[in-house]
Amino acid sequence: MPMEVTAELLGHTTVVRVVGSVDGLTADTLTGALQSHVDEGRIRLVCDLSGVEYTSSAGLRALLGTLKAARQQGGDFRLAAVQPGVHRILELSGFTSILKLYGDVDTAVASFAE
Amino acid sequence: MTHEARITCAASRDSLASLLRFIEEACANAALGQEEAIAVRMSVEELCENIIKYGYAGREPGPLSIEFAGSDDQVVVAVEDRGRPFDPRQAPPPDLTSDWDRRPLGGLGWHLVHKLMDEVRYEPVAEGGNRVTLVKRRFATT
Repeated sequence: MPMEVTAELLGHTTVVRVVGSVDGLTADTLTGALQSHVDEGRIRLVCDLSGVEYTSSAGLRALLGTLKAARQQGGDFRLAAVQPGVHRILELSGFTSILKLYGDVDTAVASFAE
Repeated sequence: MTHEARITCAASRDSLASLLRFIEEACANAALGQEEAIAVRMSVEELCENIIKYGYAGREPGPLSIEFAGSDDQVVVAVEDRGRPFDPRQAPPPDLTSDWDRRPLGGLGWHLVHKLMDEVRYEPVAEGGNRVTLVKRRFATT
């Protein structure tokens, strides 16, 4: 399944919505899209994963790279609406201990105000 | 009923889409459940990525073959190359616990394969190369 990445600004938080599979064919596109936000100073990032049923380790690299880049600049990269299959991969990879996950986009966006 | 299929491509990035399409179709033809199909697809992707990146490093890409056999009780997928020898049992353990700033980018592929499959077998190919056999039992809880 191809992947689409879109973004919108909600207050001071950028919500990046991903739809499709994140794999060796698409992860570079996702990495580039996420990195471009960080490069432009949009370091309060929420990734809406409600439309993603599959991520391989290529996708995990994109997520971890963005997390590092955002936090190193004083921001954060948070995940919203992670689907069960992807959540399992995050757990198996030890990512649930370093990434903040929220049930939906609104909660994730609101978490930046806390 | 057994569903069998095979594909051989050059181990290059240009082949990845064909290889992934092959395994998706094979899983669909064997009527795997979504969770099992995702596990098989992901494991095959990790193996193919490793072979494409490292198997023929420094020389022209050689062959990469996938053999799929799905029966009522399990799926067996063999991935074979003629690249540099690599026994996955020698893969370094993944870092699953470091803080975010010390966590390396990568090194999770083989870990995921072992977690998602019920069996992972390795044998060197006599004429040079590697053969990794993945077994996923149907309706198992792995």
